[in-house]
Amino acid sequence: MLTYVVRRILATVPVMVVVALFVFSLLYIAPGDPAAVIAGDQATPADVARIRMSLGLDRPFLIRFSEWFWQILHGDLGTSIFTNLPVATMIMQRAEPTLSLMTVTLALAVSVAVPIGVVAAWKADTLIDRAIMAFAVLGFSVPVFVVGYLLAYVFALELDWLPVQGYTPMSEGPWPWFQNLILPALALGCVYIALIARITRAAMLEVLQQDFIRTARAKGVGQTGILFVHALKNAAVPIVTVIGIGVALLIGGAVVTETVFAIPGIGRLTVDAILRRDYPVIQGIVLMFSFVYVLVNLAIDLLYTVLDPRIRY
Amino acid sequence: MTDATITTAPDLIAAAPELPDVLPPVKVRRGVVGFARRHPAIAIGGALVLAMVFIAVFAPYLGTVDPTALAPTRRTREPSAAFWFGTDMLGRDIYSRVLYGARVSLTVGFSVALLASLVGLIIGLVSGFVRWSDGIIMRVMDGMMSIPPILLAIALMALTRGSVGNVITAITIAEIPRVSRLVRSVVLSLREQPYVDAAIAAGTRTPMIILRHILPNTIAPMTVQATYVCASAMIVEAILSFIGAGTPPTIPSWGNIMAEGRALWQVKPYIVFFPAVFLSLTVLAVNLLGDGLRDALDPRLAKRL
Repeated sequence: MLTYVVRRILATVPVMVVVALFVFSLLYIAPGDPAAVIAGDQATPADVARIRMSLGLDRPFLIRFSEWFWQILHGDLGTSIFTNLPVATMIMQRAEPTLSLMTVTLALAVSVAVPIGVVAAWKADTLIDRAIMAFAVLGFSVPVFVVGYLLAYVFALELDWLPVQGYTPMSEGPWPWFQNLILPALALGCVYIALIARITRAAMLEVLQQDFIRTARAKGVGQTGILFVHALKNAAVPIVTVIGIGVALLIGGAVVTETVFAIPGIGRLTVDAILRRDYPVIQGIVLMFSFVYVLVNLAIDLLYTVLDPRIRY
Repeated sequence: MTDATITTAPDLIAAAPELPDVLPPVKVRRGVVGFARRHPAIAIGGALVLAMVFIAVFAPYLGTVDPTALAPTRRTREPSAAFWFGTDMLGRDIYSRVLYGARVSLTVGFSVALLASLVGLIIGLVSGFVRWSDGIIMRVMDGMMSIPPILLAIALMALTRGSVGNVITAITIAEIPRVSRLVRSVVLSLREQPYVDAAIAAGTRTPMIILRHILPNTIAPMTVQATYVCASAMIVEAILSFIGAGTPPTIPSWGNIMAEGRALWQVKPYIVFFPAVFLSLTVLAVNLLGDGLRDALDPRLAKRL
């Protein structure tokens, strides 16, 4: 068991090195001259040369990569071209809203998606199942900013139940904080709910056909007990896996959701960095999010042994 | 001496129930109607996709005006008989912009689906057949898959000039790992099939095995995957354009129109509304088509999902 944990943790190291190498080499894969693009249309040749130097494009790839990687290992994600602040500091300043949005979305999505997925599997091939699955296809198809505008229009502008846009820090009380996050979390959670609900239904259908479910029914366990205790426990592994994989959707969606709802988080920082062509900031954000994603999936892999004691390594 | 036992045997066999001479024919409706009945998702999705292709191709003849023509005197007009979808901040006709916008979305969606499938197919085949390369290729793919696709596309777009071609390249790179993984898994399972063993034993060369035994079997899962890649590419294109990292503002695309309507959406929601509806409908159509194809091509998988 312990060897498995250690081995699994060590296995993420090469993945992270590959991620870093890939993110770094984007500068070299990109067609055209990145330095000229970042400098903008009005740049003088001197500006372009200065940016090329600051990106390290004037030195050999491997030397530049090892220097850069060494900096990353020391928590230095580089310096913004625009503000001259360390990228790590800029990300930390914007971390709270994004973290809040993602946590609320995750909690909301899981607490909605798992029950409806279970119900869809229980009522398989009935009208309820069809309706839930139709909703899932819709959730996959309607882009996050469309859902965002729709929700904001209906619940904030027309009904005036919730604030339209903005973010209230946690320090100003949990209710104002939560109130501002309901609509963005719903918008961001839509795809995620669709994904989890679909997998939950599929996993449950498989488990519900097994012998121990019949045994449980025969010994008089109620429908709720069968669904949520006997079956769901055994369907947990694929569900938890897809929750982990879906975090990539949350990260990508957060950039858009923060733009729609004017939330001053890391997503907003990304969009500002795109407009200013502040590449070090974009690179730092991509790297940071990718590492978070790898770590989330590592945690989920380690969770398997807890969820399903039959899994032995 | 064994005659007696033999003659009694027929008596023990129960007579089979008599079957009617002619079995009642199973009614199978042929033609378009029959197909639509059996595969409603393919029919509805396919029809919607075709409608969008029609709109994109014939945009100039569908009552549109120049989608980039500025008219400062009639800015932000509400939808009316003259301007079906209203006008934007610069007085451009949104109906025309939305119809021309279909071109960008469909071009990006179809191109990415095609390119990612081709490159993914090659990488997957190499990875599945050239054993020493498998470890390296899959580690690289794992690394690429650890980068959320939208962020990867954003990072690439930040380094290139905004153009439809660069948007296609960026999204294709982000989608390749998923296709490669799928092809590789299909190849690995097919390699264990007895008929592939038989072909190897008979001395068939590897290229011939790939061509005759592997490729035909990858077509079905790849087609399904390609529709999902197409849907996801259209969403990513719209997102990139919406946050200002995609199609240049001079070309009307659904993401661009929504980006321009962003500042005014509380007072002029229709600017965002129409491109949003078209985008959602198109993605929905492609997803329906994909689900329908999956059910039709792989009934085993359809039962599970």
